Amino acid sequence: MASPLVAPPVAKTKALSCPNCGGPVELRGFGHALTVVCQQCLSVLDVSTPEVKILQQIQEKQRITPKIPLGTRGKFAGVAWDVIGFQRRTIHEDDETFSWDEYLLFNPYKGFRYVTEYNGHWNFVTPLESQPTRFAIAGRPAVAFEGRRFKHFDGVEAITTFVLGEFPWRVKGGENAICDDFIDPPTVLSSETTQHEVAWSRGEYTPGADIWKAFALPGNPPPAQGVYLNQPAPAKGGSMWGTFGMFLLGLIVLAILFATASRQSVVLDKRFRFSTADAEPSIVTPVFNLEGHTAALELTVDANMSNNWAYFNFALINDDTGTAFDFGREVSYYSGSDSDGTWSEGGTKETVYIPSVPPGHYYLRIEPEMDAATGPYRVQNKRTNAMDYHVVLKHDVPNYSFFWIVAGLLMIPPLFHGIRSGGFETKRWMDSDYPPVTTRGGD
Amino acid sequence: MRFPGYLTYGMLLLTGLTWAEYRGWSLSRVNQVKDVPKTVRDNPGAYRSHYGFYPRYVGGK
Amino acid sequence: MSQPTSNCPNCGAPVQFRWSSAVQTACPFCKSIIVRSDLDLQKVGEVADLPPDPSPIQLLTEGVYKGDKFQVTGRLVYEYENGGWNEWHIVFSKGASAWLSDAQLQYAISFLVNPKEPIPAQAEISRGKHLQFGGTEFEVSTITVAMYNGFEGELPFPYYGKSDMLFADLRTPGKSFGTIDYSEEPPLLFLGEWVEYEELQLKNVRQFEGWA
Repeated sequence: MASPLVAPPVAKTKALSCPNCGGPVELRGFGHALTVVCQQCLSVLDVSTPEVKILQQIQEKQRITPKIPLGTRGKFAGVAWDVIGFQRRTIHEDDETFSWDEYLLFNPYKGFRYVTEYNGHWNFVTPLESQPTRFAIAGRPAVAFEGRRFKHFDGVEAITTFVLGEFPWRVKGGENAICDDFIDPPTVLSSETTQHEVAWSRGEYTPGADIWKAFALPGNPPPAQGVYLNQPAPAKGGSMWGTFGMFLLGLIVLAILFATASRQSVVLDKRFRFSTADAEPSIVTPVFNLEGHTAALELTVDANMSNNWAYFNFALINDDTGTAFDFGREVSYYSGSDSDGTWSEGGTKETVYIPSVPPGHYYLRIEPEMDAATGPYRVQNKRTNAMDYHVVLKHDVPNYSFFWIVAGLLMIPPLFHGIRSGGFETKRWMDSDYPPVTTRGGD
Repeated sequence: MRFPGYLTYGMLLLTGLTWAEYRGWSLSRVNQVKDVPKTVRDNPGAYRSHYGFYPRYVGGK
Repeated sequence: MSQPTSNCPNCGAPVQFRWSSAVQTACPFCKSIIVRSDLDLQKVGEVADLPPDPSPIQLLTEGVYKGDKFQVTGRLVYEYENGGWNEWHIVFSKGASAWLSDAQLQYAISFLVNPKEPIPAQAEISRGKHLQFGGTEFEVSTITVAMYNGFEGELPFPYYGKSDMLFADLRTPGKSFGTIDYSEEPPLLFLGEWVEYEELQLKNVRQFEGWA
C-alpha cells in the first residue's frame, strides 16, 4: 500500500446558508473565498473557517447592481473567466466624489484578474508579481517596467463603499488603500498600498464594446465620457510631421530638378537713360528670340533711385502674332538718418515674372514715368527728373515662390493635427494630479 | 499609409506645382493685349498701355 | 527511484516512500507523522485534516520547468491573515528538489540556496529593505506571519509542530523572486522565479466542476 498520494476528488462549487437571512450563498471560487456577501440580505460573511461569521451588514439602500452580473463567464484572449466578485471604490477630492467599479474574475487554473470601469472606460487588469522600478521624469514620479516608462498620473485614497460576491481576501466596506496610477497609454501600472504591503497590477484599456462581446452581454455598453487616464489617443500614427518631412524632401528634389532643367538664358541686358524732358518717353528694344516651350520670363529693372520714385510701363510684344503682355512696376527708394539711426524704405530693384510666354520673336516696350516737379535737375529752366536704369530679361526661369507657398500649405494639416491631439492630451491630464491648466481659483 | 488624406493632399499640391512650374505660371498680374500693330516698333509712343490705372500717372503725350 | 517499504511505527501498516530522499511522510491509516533516519522510522506527531484546497496542483501532478520534467511529491500548507498558500514539493527527473509555490494561483518555482552573502536576521528584516544575493538585487516586498497548517505527501526534511513563523518575500522588477523562511535557525533562503501556469505544462491536474 503506497503512502497517501491519492488524487482528491473533482472540486465542486459550494453553497451555504446565510447565517443572517438563511438564503443560499453560492461559492464559485472552489475554496479560495475568505469573504462573501449574501446577495439577498447584503451581509458580509467571513467564510475562512467552517463557522461562517457575519462581519458587517450593508444597508439595502446602498445596493448597487453591477453592470456585469455575478456568475457571468467571459472569454479574453481565449481564456475563460467567471465574474465572482464586485467592489465599488470611492475617492473624495475637493468636495467631489468619484467612484469606479471593480469586477473580480476567476479561473481555477490561471488565477484572478479584474475588470474595472469608470465613466464608461474599461480596463482589463492583471496582478503583477514583479515590482516596477521607481524613478523620476522632470521632477515627477515615474516607474520603469519591462522596458517601458510610465508617468505618475494620480495618487488617491480609495475607500471601498460596496461589495458583492466573493473574494480570496478579507474585504469590508469602509476599508481604504492608497492607489497610485502610472500611465503609458494604453497601459496603466497601479500600486495599491495598504498597511501591510504594496500590490502592483497592470491594466490594459479595453473599449466597452469588447467587454460586452467577451461576456456576451445584451444591449450596449455605457457610453464613455471624457478622456480616461490610459485611453489611447485617437490620432492614429502619431505625428504627421514625418510625412511632412517626406513632402519637403520631394519639394527640394523638384526645385533642384526645375532649377537644372530650366534654361535661365538672358535674352536682354541693356541700360537706358530717361529724363522727364525727353521728347518721347517710351522706347523699344531690339527683337530677341524665345526658344523652346512656353515658359516664364523674369524681368529685373534696376534704377539708381535716391529719395525718388519712378513708374515703368512694360509691354512684351510678340513681333509675329501682335500679342503683348502688358504690366507695370514702381521702383522707389528713400533713405535718411534721424535720432534712431539710419533708415531706408523701398528698393532700387524690382522683379516681375511674366507667366506662360509662348516661344517666338519678341521685343520689349518700356515707358517710364517720373515726377518732374520733385526732380533735382533743371533743363531749360524747367524742373526735370531723370534716372539711369538697367533691364535684364531672363527666359525660362523657375518660380521659387510657388515652392514656398506649397511648403506653407503642406504645414497646415500637421499643425491642425498637432493641435487636435494636443487637445486630447490636455483633456487627459486635466483629471490628473498635474493638470496643465488650473480652472479653480486659488485657496 | 498612416495619413491617407494628407498624402493625397500633398500629392495634389506637388502635382499642381510641377504643372505650374513646367507651364511657367506666375503670381504676377499681367494683362494680355491682342493685335498690337507692327508700327509700334517704329513709333513706340503710339502704343496705348492697357495696364490698370496707376494713380500717379502724370500725363501722356 | 527506489521505493523502500517499511511499517508504520504506530499501527504497523505498510508505509512506502515514493521518493528515495523523502524524510517525512504520513501513515495513510492512523495519520501519524513519520520521520525517518536511514531505515529507522519514528512517529513524531499526528497530521490534521487539511482545509479544502483550491489549488489545481495535486500530488502526482507532473510538469516541465526549463526543459526538465518534475513530479509533485508533497505539500506544505500555510495560512496567514489574508488567506493561505501551498508550497508544493517537486522532484526533478534527475533527483533535484525544489518548491512550486501557489499563492492565490500565482506560481513560482524556487530552490533552497546557500548564498555567499549573509541572510539578515529576523530582527533586521523590514519592508523596503534592499538585499543582494548572487548578483541580483531584491527588495523586501512583504513580511508575512504565517501559521503552518500541515503537510501532505512526502517532504525532503522534517517539518512538523511549527506554529507562528515569519516569511520575507523578495521581489525584483523582473521575474526573479525569493523567500526567507525564518521558521528555522539559521533562516533558509529560497531563490527562484515567477512562472505562468502555461509555462509549466502541467499534467494530471485537479478537475473543477464546470471547467474544461
